[in-house]
Amino acid sequence: MKKILLVDDEDGIHLLYREEFEEEGYEVVSAYNGDQAIEKFQEEKPDLVILDINMPGMNGIEVLRRLKEISPELPVILSSAYTEYKQDFGSWASEEYIVKSSDLTELKNAVKKYLQ
Amino acid sequence: MPELRKDPILGRWIIIATERGKRPTDFIIEETKTTGGFCPLCPGNEKTTPPEVMVYGRVPGMPPNSSSWLVRVVPNKYPALVIEGELDKQGEGLYDKMNGIGAHEVIIETPNHNERFSDLEPEQMTLVFTAYRDRIIDLSKDSRFSYVMVFKNYGRAAGASLEHSHSQLVALPILPRMVVSELAGSLSYYRYKDRCIFCDIIRQEIQQNVRLVCENDEFITVAPFAPRTPFEMWILPRKHASSYSEIDQQGLERLAAIFKESLGRLDACIPNVPYNFVLHTQPLRSEPLEHFHWHFEIVPKLTSIAGFEWGSGFYINPMPPEDTCRYLQEAGEKK
Repeated sequence: MKKILLVDDEDGIHLLYREEFEEEGYEVVSAYNGDQAIEKFQEEKPDLVILDINMPGMNGIEVLRRLKEISPELPVILSSAYTEYKQDFGSWASEEYIVKSSDLTELKNAVKKYLQ
Repeated sequence: MPELRKDPILGRWIIIATERGKRPTDFIIEETKTTGGFCPLCPGNEKTTPPEVMVYGRVPGMPPNSSSWLVRVVPNKYPALVIEGELDKQGEGLYDKMNGIGAHEVIIETPNHNERFSDLEPEQMTLVFTAYRDRIIDLSKDSRFSYVMVFKNYGRAAGASLEHSHSQLVALPILPRMVVSELAGSLSYYRYKDRCIFCDIIRQEIQQNVRLVCENDEFITVAPFAPRTPFEMWILPRKHASSYSEIDQQGLERLAAIFKESLGRLDACIPNVPYNFVLHTQPLRSEPLEHFHWHFEIVPKLTSIAGFEWGSGFYINPMPPEDTCRYLQEAGEKK
């Protein structure tokens, strides 16, 4: 079973995404901030990371650059409610930048694309 | 007594708050926080960028997007404007709108992650200026575009999001307001005096030598009469030319030389100051213009824009350009 690490500081996102992605047949592990994300990444060895950007402490782009330094081939999907982080060229290290929406089709398709 | 000064091209007023008597050391530059980690612009990570549209210094025989290069130009991975589609200009009542068509590209100025633009070797900097020229020429073939804006943000306070040295260009389907104002202001002067205002500025600044930072055989750097910020500098070709894309190889080399000299002096006065520079050139597909003169404007990020500036369009500058020029001249003498 492919494993997704979900990094977001909002409980609601974890509840929703966990339900949706488990239904799609993935295992979902959770982290609520950047430090926890790096820790969980090393423990759990996920196949893909869904990463929020606007989080307390280390932001998602800093986490992304740290994760990619450890594992350049790891697919990371940035998932943010904001588009302005697209201006940060650090975001280029991600495979996709998806703006959060109640419709998860785009996110699910991106996950499928990288976990096939 | 503070002084109001008028920019002769734009008619923009600024306030020189002379009584504050600032020195370069009075400016506190926040140390740039570098996050480190994986860099999408570094050699070896080419697949994290879109495929390059231009490259310089690739070892012959090496494939496109491989890791041997000196300067690389790539489209923005997450662009604000998109290259595909038609403009589809529309009116909505009295308002105008069109599709967000444009080209947004990133010029990766060096393969070395920690090398600053001002520290590039002259040959490397020449390649960067060559890339600007070649991209403008290439994008001018696209009839949807009216203008190519080339700019650099250095330092997080000036808008740079990644420490790996890069600049950007945006090809636009409309002329930016600033360009329209500059063209109109310089045309108005030309109609009145039958001379290019920039050529007149060059002549006067050389003659007066109070705002002349440095010069070489093809270019001069001046602290403009009405600068928006302390240590603002303009780099102008001595010989009249309205289009940057006409610059030849020797011009590119001399431009790199004066840029390096000017930024080196700025760095000596205020180490590691964040700045923006912007190329001002004529619109695409325009005939050569007698009244307009291409140039670069370097604007250090030393002041903030607040309510008064937004409301009035005035800038408040705590240092007269004659003072900053003196510091910049002295910095050159010490080198």
